[in-house]
Amino acid sequence: MSSPSSTQQPLTVGRLAALADVSANAVRFYEREGLMHVPAKTQSGYRLYDTEAVERLRFIKQAQHCGFTLSEIQALLQLRDETSACCNDVRNKVIEKKLELEARIKAMKAMSTALDQLIADCSNDARPAGSCSILAALSDSARRPAR
Amino acid sequence: MKVEVLHATGCAKCLRDLDTLRAAARRADPDVEWKEIDILQALDYAVELGVLKPPAVAIDGELVFMSLPTSDALGAAMRERRKAAS
Repeated sequence: MSSPSSTQQPLTVGRLAALADVSANAVRFYEREGLMHVPAKTQSGYRLYDTEAVERLRFIKQAQHCGFTLSEIQALLQLRDETSACCNDVRNKVIEKKLELEARIKAMKAMSTALDQLIADCSNDARPAGSCSILAALSDSARRPAR
Repeated sequence: MKVEVLHATGCAKCLRDLDTLRAAARRADPDVEWKEIDILQALDYAVELGVLKPPAVAIDGELVFMSLPTSDALGAAMRERRKAAS
């Protein structure tokens, strides 16, 4: 991927988006969410961005890829801009995210196991859906502890 | 009684506070089994306990503090558990 140098011309939103491999709408969305700085319009009515905006967009995109929400990305960007923050602060944010993801994975595995049980218990025959053991089990689940 | 501190390595403040907490735990129960666990080495256990962020403290396998407690709070929690168990 190309890496624009600081000597390059200011970028239009379309060019910025292309360099960061996102859509122009995504750039505007991040601006509305406060993740991107909104440059003032030029006399001709364009918003022009500097190359730092490309790096910021790539940061946002990569952080989203790692599962961070927009508010968490905002916090990471703030840490990046804070002179008093240290690497350990950033690492702790990532550990928190990892714990959250692992907890979600555990919950989803439990859901998958519950689905396995429903599938195994189903007779899979031509009886009416109203008599299906899966629907019966789901109706009954509030009265029984989860397996 | 077992006291486990799940923490992220490199947290200098945590490491300083751990010395104080360890001493408080030993005052509350001289036979305490004190364990300091690197949370990244015990992620499954941390998730099982319900830890959302390090550091956290579990007593006898139950998450009791979601952050490092004061020495007084840890001592009180340990005494309360011992009383409940007896």
